[in-house]
Amino acid sequence: MLRKLLGRMGFSLLLFVVMTFVLFPIYWMITTSVKVPLDYATRDPAWFPTRITGEHYLSLWEGRAYRYLGNTVLVALSATALALTVGLMAAYALARFRFPAKLDVLFLLWVLLVRMAPPVVMAIPLYTTLRALGLLNTHLGLIIVYQIYVLPYAIWMLLGFVREVPIEVEEAAAIDGASKWRTLVSVILPLVGPGLVATAIFSVIMTWNEFIYALLFLRTPDRFTLPIHIANFITEYEILWGELMAIGFMSSLPILFLSGYVQRHLLKGFAMQLK
Amino acid sequence: MLLLTPALLIIAFLTIYPLVNVVRLSFCEYNYLRGTPRFVGLENYLRLFGDRFFVDGLRNTFLFSISATVAEVGLGLFLAILFHRRFRGRRLLLPLVIFPMMLSTMVVCSIWRSMYHFDYGILNHLLTLIGLGRVKWLFDPDLALWSVVLVDIWQWTPMAFLILLAGLQSIPRELYEAARVDGASGQALFRRVTLPLLKNHLFLALLLRSIDTFKIFDKVYALTGGGPGSATETISFYIYREGFKYFNMGRASAASVVMFLAVAGVSALYIRQVLRRGHA
Repeated sequence: MLRKLLGRMGFSLLLFVVMTFVLFPIYWMITTSVKVPLDYATRDPAWFPTRITGEHYLSLWEGRAYRYLGNTVLVALSATALALTVGLMAAYALARFRFPAKLDVLFLLWVLLVRMAPPVVMAIPLYTTLRALGLLNTHLGLIIVYQIYVLPYAIWMLLGFVREVPIEVEEAAAIDGASKWRTLVSVILPLVGPGLVATAIFSVIMTWNEFIYALLFLRTPDRFTLPIHIANFITEYEILWGELMAIGFMSSLPILFLSGYVQRHLLKGFAMQLK
Repeated sequence: MLLLTPALLIIAFLTIYPLVNVVRLSFCEYNYLRGTPRFVGLENYLRLFGDRFFVDGLRNTFLFSISATVAEVGLGLFLAILFHRRFRGRRLLLPLVIFPMMLSTMVVCSIWRSMYHFDYGILNHLLTLIGLGRVKWLFDPDLALWSVVLVDIWQWTPMAFLILLAGLQSIPRELYEAARVDGASGQALFRRVTLPLLKNHLFLALLLRSIDTFKIFDKVYALTGGGPGSATETISFYIYREGFKYFNMGRASAASVVMFLAVAGVSALYIRQVLRRGHA
């Protein structure tokens, strides 16, 4: 009895330590964003804000930080839409048609290798290419470059979902006289709906947080995405933490809302990669 | 076949063409502010291995990747075992545990940079509270790399945790009961039943984390800038600085090729594993 009680207490204590380590930095970000500078720019920082202030959020608004939010949303959503469209078509082709000389296996291996390659390796030639096409410092250029991350991922994920659609459904559609294209749009699309949603969410998270290509390919501050703005903020203003944490928190909110979903569905993606 | 064309075109345009180009440039001297590429043979490669920053970058990248991966998978396993038990509040805590990996790396870096701050950081404040001296987390050459590793561990252990938790949940409970009937207990149960059945998931967690940590760039950029000296220099950061700060495209390309070969070599091992599994 006593041993069981002690075991329970030990477990709770362990859990408490783990959760503190995980959550304290986030607590620190949120509280710092509403602290007055006297509470954090000191050798004796306050554990709780002595006074709650909205000044940092106000100065974000005045500095028009919502520009960066707008840019980030635009780039993340467009890159995701492109990857889903192209990825679904590719996944369908790979799942349903026979390819000569194992072309499909080769393609999938290449896609996997691309996913593993460090982004900086491609940065130099992509830079010269984008410059030649006049796409440097544009959102369109960035949306195209982001396909390096999201397209392989979309193909890989959607391939699993398309394979789960029974072929009989399509044969029925073909008997009813639907074309291949028509089948894809009105039969397959609704059936892989949940798969599309899952892929879209992960693709948005990936592009939302992307750093290195945005850093290298965007030059005008007006076009920056949130991570680039935050990076400049860190390196330029050593200690304006209130504002820094405020923008960090604002930019994390949309993504944090997805964390319950991710926790439940990320595993599906992994299971598919294991196959 | 028509349906595959757009994907093929995009991937070829974004990967095959740049790769060919990077290999070509690696044999040239090319500063794109002045002039055009000039063929110099293997010179870039020879210079690379005489460059202290590159050699240190290579060493640091391996140190970082190996230590962060091992720590994240180890801690992730520990967390997964903790959360595999049923307890009150589990459903509430699970999404909270993965918060760190949902944050943008730049947000993560700004939080940790403020906590690591020498004068005003909460960590040094804690150290003085328990009677220890202040520490130069990011500016001590012996410590800086490990401070960056710690940030990576905080951010990405949840990823390993999620994979391994899924693994634990896929093991049928009857197996444990059967083993218990046969007289196995505690440690033996873990070593003889859990670990072998978790092999696939451990493999996946190690794979994903080692690939990711090998690319380490953004944390170095935001936390230390590669310093002090070359203490936190990594290959990715070296390529960035040579190419985009010094416009030394030839040498940056040579470094890129070396890095790509290293990653491709490691991935080939993994892919062979995956394929072998696929046939089994």
